Amino acid sequence: MRAIGLHKVVSTANGELEILKGIDLEIKASESVALVGPSGSGKTTLLSLLAGLDTASKGKIYLGSNELTAMNEELRAIVRGRVVGFVFQSFQLLGSLSALENVMLPLELKNSPEAKLVALQLMDKVGLTHRCAHYPNKLSGGEQQRVAIARAFASAPKVLFADEPTGNLDTATGRVIIDLLFELNREFGTTLILVTHDKKLAQRCDREINIDSGELIEMET
Amino acid sequence: MHFKLALKLFLRDLKGGELTILIGALVIAVSTVTTISLFVDRLEQALFRESATFIAADAAIYAPNPIDEAWIKKANSLGLDDAKTISFLSMVFSSRSQLVSVKAVGADYPLRGQLSVTATPFESGSPVGKGPKKGEVWVESRLISALDILRGDSVEIGLASFEVAQILSSEPDRAVGFESAAGPRVMMNISDVASTGVVKPGSRVTYRYLVSGDGNALEEFERWVRPKLAQSERWISIEDGAEGVGYALKRAESFLLLGALLGVVLAGLSIALAAQRYALRHFDHVAILKTLGTTVRGIDSIFMIIIFALCLIGGFLGVLVGFLAQATIAGILDPLMPVELPAPSFHGIVLGLVTGFICLFSFAFPPLLKLRAIEPVRVFRRDFSGTTVSGLLTYAFSGFGILGLMYWYSENIELTLFLFSGAIIASMVLFFVAYLLLQSGQLMGMGAGSAWRLALSGIQRRGRNISLQILVFGLAIMLLLILFLVRTALISEWQASLPKDAPNHFVLNVAQIDVDPMNNLFEENNVRAEPLFSMTRGRVIAINGEPIVVKDRLGVEESAKSKRGARGPRFSSNRNLTWAQYLPNGNRVIDGLWWDLNYSGPPLVSIENSMAERGGVKVGDTLDFKIQDQIFSAQVASIRSVAWDSMQPNFYFIFSPGTIGQFSSTYMTSFFLEKKNKSFLNTLLRYYPTITLIEIDAVIEQITSIIKKVTLAIELVLILILVSGAFVLLASIQASMDERFRQSAILRALGASQRLILFSLFIEFAFMGVLAGIVATLGAEITVFFLESQVFELDYSPHLVLWVLGPLSGLFIIGCLGLWATRKVVVTAPSNALRQ
Repeated sequence: MRAIGLHKVVSTANGELEILKGIDLEIKASESVALVGPSGSGKTTLLSLLAGLDTASKGKIYLGSNELTAMNEELRAIVRGRVVGFVFQSFQLLGSLSALENVMLPLELKNSPEAKLVALQLMDKVGLTHRCAHYPNKLSGGEQQRVAIARAFASAPKVLFADEPTGNLDTATGRVIIDLLFELNREFGTTLILVTHDKKLAQRCDREINIDSGELIEMET
Repeated sequence: MHFKLALKLFLRDLKGGELTILIGALVIAVSTVTTISLFVDRLEQALFRESATFIAADAAIYAPNPIDEAWIKKANSLGLDDAKTISFLSMVFSSRSQLVSVKAVGADYPLRGQLSVTATPFESGSPVGKGPKKGEVWVESRLISALDILRGDSVEIGLASFEVAQILSSEPDRAVGFESAAGPRVMMNISDVASTGVVKPGSRVTYRYLVSGDGNALEEFERWVRPKLAQSERWISIEDGAEGVGYALKRAESFLLLGALLGVVLAGLSIALAAQRYALRHFDHVAILKTLGTTVRGIDSIFMIIIFALCLIGGFLGVLVGFLAQATIAGILDPLMPVELPAPSFHGIVLGLVTGFICLFSFAFPPLLKLRAIEPVRVFRRDFSGTTVSGLLTYAFSGFGILGLMYWYSENIELTLFLFSGAIIASMVLFFVAYLLLQSGQLMGMGAGSAWRLALSGIQRRGRNISLQILVFGLAIMLLLILFLVRTALISEWQASLPKDAPNHFVLNVAQIDVDPMNNLFEENNVRAEPLFSMTRGRVIAINGEPIVVKDRLGVEESAKSKRGARGPRFSSNRNLTWAQYLPNGNRVIDGLWWDLNYSGPPLVSIENSMAERGGVKVGDTLDFKIQDQIFSAQVASIRSVAWDSMQPNFYFIFSPGTIGQFSSTYMTSFFLEKKNKSFLNTLLRYYPTITLIEIDAVIEQITSIIKKVTLAIELVLILILVSGAFVLLASIQASMDERFRQSAILRALGASQRLILFSLFIEFAFMGVLAGIVATLGAEITVFFLESQVFELDYSPHLVLWVLGPLSGLFIIGCLGLWATRKVVVTAPSNALRQ
């Protein structure tokens, strides 16, 4: 994954605001990377650009051989569906689907005939077999995030984006979730890019990328 | 296509109650239209059949010469049933003689309605299938007394002799055009006409060609034959035959269709509101789905499938409810109807279903369209709605949907555009008024107690949204008020137009010397009669010196093309002319002036407005009349509207006193007679055996009872619309539920009591209700003014009581309904609400 000269400018009531100011970075396959930095530094914006959820004002992003920045939303959606997985701070499960159905969702969108089988295996992996039929509002925060992780791996993504995956959870639950995330990451050989405030979590990654005021200020390994 | 996923989401939303209001609104839209159109259709069919008896056919051609064989062939080739009659005046002889109106009929006569005969004169008869056989005549009761004969005696007409086989008590088309009522009726077989030798070339004879059958074939025959009709030949449709019933029912139909339309607008509003809420609640869903790789097309297909599923369920349930409601209404009305209601046609069901589809697509589609524009980045920033669909496009979508439906229902582009633009202007004005009222409300509420402050701060915070909500509440109440007002005006108008003592008997053919004695007879017997009007046959031959033929031909050609135009009276036909000193009852001068009581100047004429319109005649024009082979001119002094359903002698042309006195004429009048005083008719006929008496008491009874039933139908429809209205209110309240849940949860988390929250909710809704009531009253007054004066041709008067009723009903209805709908807000645990 490569980003070259990435800029993001948004219009606000007080004029234009430059959120990202020319970011260059490269992330290798199977690498795990933490994007860290203070609130409002542009981490989440960078994540959303890298994941193809938002469009850059300037610059290029390559995901493998695909240049995301040259694609329209329709094509980006197809790329997201094929190679990208997500875990969010606020879980983002579909309230109208059961836990199992949420995990099946990415595979169903690809019309995979094995959706249910794969989803059941993943639910087993995250230890929630007994919660398959439950709807998200009946699950605890930790359980919801485990379902979200199962969903993220359902389509065996090449890259997994995680936005503050433990941000809404207590420390103990957060630790369980992180363990699970890294375990599955290893198992699936996925590239992991996560945004976090959690120093410990960042340290577990292969690399930390520090962002401040929209600029990449240092890279650590 | 994500069929399985869409279905799953749909079923889950259905189970979770997300779609309840949406489906409810759709069911209401479909069922309202289905109910009304099915019922109106059945009513129309029934009345068509009933009205057909007035001319003994579905349509007829009246001609002074034998009917062209080519026409008969054409009618037969179209599969129409037909019958011929020949009417003429002749003398009948026994020991005495009497001028009679002979009608010769074939074996197929009548095509609609029934002949009935009796054994004893003046008794009510029993129906028979066919008319007289060859060699026999049937005669009216009064001829039995006039000729002093008995059943079985023989009488002579011209060269032939006939046996009086039956006493004719009624014939279906007896009352069509008073020209047919020149003497007691003698009915004979059509094959006997030649043997009498009475009908010779040049005799005054009316040949009638009656047709009946399939509506399309009839229309085709009409289109084909109309341009071939000569000046003296007339196409008679059912509308010409039964004006009294027709007028009342046309209005009822307009009302019911208006009701259906308002019902659809109301249901459309609730669909739009419910869809808006549904869309809002699915913004996150869509963002997640997009994040997971669903394309815009995929999102489209998911929600199209959901809409389609909604259509299926809503449409099916709607048709079912509509069919049952219609069957219930028909079941209640059936025993009261003069004829059996025919089975409902498929048309109403199709209309209902298509309405449902259009409603859903035009109202629910725009909010759902917003979903495709949701950006996936919303998963990070919830405030990022990313809706790029323009508001104008959204409104245009609904606007076109409604416009199309309105036109489809009314088939009247003028009325449609008028109502539509009126509604848009009204909405804008009402929104503005609501906003202004809201502003003043804010000032008033300052410094009030805490529940008040809570309520008013809620209102203040969502100023624009609340204005919109008030507009929606206001529109719903307004539509209900409109319907209620028009219904009340319509019913009271009907009751007024057919008072209990409306004339129910007509007397025609009264000789001039009998006018005063007959008036005296009426007085002696306490019979309330209208004045006796002279009747002279004549026709207009020129307008301002320009011969009429050309103008009328154009008119005929034009009317042959347009269905509506064909219904107007023909300008140059022979008419009954009269003169009068006073403006007759039920007439209203709409242009020009009625002459002074002692007017004795040059001849003036007053002309009925539809006739004036047809001839393009204005006040001040000079008309040339041909009366009894003399040309006679008169200036148009006024144009009148005539209450044709008033059961009084009504005339297209009325002359100033003394103007047409030189022409020989007979007189006519109408009077009211109670059933128990029917024997007065024998007295009247004994004194004046040559008069023609037409009893329409049965017809009036029929009209009155039909009106009662239609009133009931209207009331039932009003209830349906009320339910739609309630749905709009619920949908509108539902639309603001999410925010209320959150607000209440925060307040309760901070320690506010349930009572405080409930009370503040009540104040909020009641306040909005009062404002909506004011807005609705204003809108209703304006709309009703236009509707009554333009569409229903009623007299408008302001409804002062409405200005109290409107705001008060707004307060209670919205206040209570709002409180009921939001009661869950205080029951749900704050943590739950906050988590949602």
